[in-house]
Amino acid sequence: MHATYVRVLVVAAGIALGITAYNVQIDSLGANTTSVRAAASVVAAWASLAAGVVIWSRRPGNWLGPLMVATCFALLARQLRYSRDALAFTVFFALGELGYALIAHSALAYPSGRVRERSERRFLAVTYATVIAFPLAILLVHDEGVRLRYFDSYPRASLLLISPQDGLAGFLQDSYTVLAYGALAALLIVLVARRLRRATPRARWVLTPVLVGVVVAALWALYNSVVAFSTGPPGFVAHYTFWWQIAGLIALPVALFFGLIRSRLAHADVGDLVLRLEKTPPGGIRDALAEAVHDPTLEVVFWLPERSEYVDADGRSVELPRDGHDRAVTRLDHDDEPLAALVHDPTLRYEPELIDAAAAAARLALENARLQAEVQAQLAKVKESRARIVAAGDEQRRRIERDLHDGAQQRLVALALELKSAERRLEGGADPDVERLLSSAAEEVQVAVEELRQLAGGIHPGILTQGGLVVALAALASKAPLPVSVDAELHRLEPELEATAYFVAAEGLTNVAKHAHASSASLRACVDKGKLVIEVADDGVGGAAPNGGTGLRGLADRVEAQGGQLRIESPSGGGTRIIGEIPCES
Amino acid sequence: MRVVIAEDSALLREGLARILAEGGFDVLAQCVNAEELRDAVRRRKPDVAVVDVRMPPTHTDEGARAAREIRDEYPEVGVLLLSQVVEAAHAFALFSERPEGFGYLLKDRVLEIDDFLEAVGRVGRGGTAIDPEVIAQLLGRPREDDPLADLTPREREVLGLMAEGLSNRGICGRLFLSPKTVEAHVKNIFMKLGLMPAPDDHRRVLAVLAFLRS
Repeated sequence: MHATYVRVLVVAAGIALGITAYNVQIDSLGANTTSVRAAASVVAAWASLAAGVVIWSRRPGNWLGPLMVATCFALLARQLRYSRDALAFTVFFALGELGYALIAHSALAYPSGRVRERSERRFLAVTYATVIAFPLAILLVHDEGVRLRYFDSYPRASLLLISPQDGLAGFLQDSYTVLAYGALAALLIVLVARRLRRATPRARWVLTPVLVGVVVAALWALYNSVVAFSTGPPGFVAHYTFWWQIAGLIALPVALFFGLIRSRLAHADVGDLVLRLEKTPPGGIRDALAEAVHDPTLEVVFWLPERSEYVDADGRSVELPRDGHDRAVTRLDHDDEPLAALVHDPTLRYEPELIDAAAAAARLALENARLQAEVQAQLAKVKESRARIVAAGDEQRRRIERDLHDGAQQRLVALALELKSAERRLEGGADPDVERLLSSAAEEVQVAVEELRQLAGGIHPGILTQGGLVVALAALASKAPLPVSVDAELHRLEPELEATAYFVAAEGLTNVAKHAHASSASLRACVDKGKLVIEVADDGVGGAAPNGGTGLRGLADRVEAQGGQLRIESPSGGGTRIIGEIPCES
Repeated sequence: MRVVIAEDSALLREGLARILAEGGFDVLAQCVNAEELRDAVRRRKPDVAVVDVRMPPTHTDEGARAAREIRDEYPEVGVLLLSQVVEAAHAFALFSERPEGFGYLLKDRVLEIDDFLEAVGRVGRGGTAIDPEVIAQLLGRPREDDPLADLTPREREVLGLMAEGLSNRGICGRLFLSPKTVEAHVKNIFMKLGLMPAPDDHRRVLAVLAFLRS
């Protein structure tokens, strides 16, 4: 309640001061103004008051409200300095230029209410110092009898006069015009342009109207500083300059007002959002939200309770950025449980109604999308573990095969060799029974070696390990009961990839032999666009069902486990093509 | 004849060295991996290297790769590869450009000691030794139009032995046939397959294999 009283008092004071300013202008400027012009300058000040008070009440923590209110009073003070009363003249002349500094301050503080950039802070410090120091200095040396710029011929007495110095007063006025209206206004335009250039897309969208207002005002000041030293513009130009100034003074508060309070207007967009989300697939929520709050950088992340972390729409875990200067985070809860979070442009922080309304509208859709992200996350995990299981199985088979070949088989061959050597040494010189025993033992071992090789080959094709995929495919083709052409040009690949492609070819050829009634078949293997492609084709009867037989299903599982795809094209009477595609590195 | 051995299994390495030494070969070095093999070949320049296809560290095809390098760098050194598995496709992949001074045998063949020693000697002299299993695969391979269809079973047998790298005399010994009969078979085979008869062992093999590969 206290704040409301303060605001009512401020508004009352502003109105009263505005009326006074109007009277002062009419009374003391006489022919140099009209009632319309006097009224316009007061209304321009009131525009700042209105915008400031509304922003102040809606965004109590934001300094922009008070800044705008102060701007109003400073602009009115600028008019009150025309008073013939010496005290009023002295006080308001000293404060009269403060309005321009406050306008620059408001523009640079928008939308957060604070000025963070060091260069901008310095600029404001210099500006405030300039607009206070120069009028004060002029008051010290201003001779009542000499005409002040813009004051026409009416004499004004300074209560702060120390000694009249006409030359110095004139010099101070010229310097001030060049410095404040020229250099500082130009610098403000530069700062504003720099801000726009560095801004995020959303910040640019938010800033543009405000900065256009500032530039209009700053250009006016710049123009004024030039005109001040010429013989004076023709009357009609001076006329337009006045309205230019008024336009600049009104444009800024209007822009600020709409910039900060726009969320009210944006409710229309949010209403659309509700309707749109009904028809939007879960993947489109982000786009719809981004559009409703005008932030193309908006990201939506979902909370997964069982993993206690945030994930994106595809279920990949993501780290929430720190809610800070670069990105802002709005968390959405559901029954005190986190549901999702919106990661967005920091400028949205100054329009909480907008982001809240949008989030409320999207809540149901977000809940659905969260479930979907959860499923995606689980799916990704299952996929990973499936690939790991296949890889582990392969690795185990390879290791067993290797152990058999390089361990047991080698030892048996060595053993047989020793038996044979022994047999040769004895040759004729020993008990024939011993020779026979040795010879049959060696033969037994040889049979064991052969059996072991068959066993190892059944566990994992040794030719694949030894010769690679191209050789193994050629070997498969040469053992098939029908002519098989091979078209394969590959380097050695990951063992799992080679094994999968080999099994696709082997199973495919087995099926060709069993079911296709084909006269010939072909094998093709190549790496194309990051995929290993393996194809088995025949000219047989076709009509193979993709799910017929566990062999093909098992193959598809294998291929899919490695992130690939197995396709079967088998038109009746048109032959059969089995195509496996597996992502690979090279 | 001077020979180096590359075989990672100690038992088998010793066994091989022993039968080769007993068979009259001069065993210059026994290597346990491809690195040692390359080194031994560079320093000792043997007539033939007997090499296991699979050796440490990966136990995939180190021996085959070392063999290819040796053959490129020292064409006069014969290489006999011992493989845990034999496949015609693998054989072709390993020696397709140049079968001279090359052998490819299943590991167990060392147990047929005499044949093995003969094969080592043949490769050392620049000849060829191809595993019978490879030849069987080639001959048994189904083809769209099979030119081997015209051959009699006996002629097929002789063709197989020729492809293994055996000379006419060697074939006589295997099949217990007279030199004259073998000569007649060989002539018939060359005629039926449209190959020109050639004087050297390995050139015969070259011709036969080039044909089989077609």
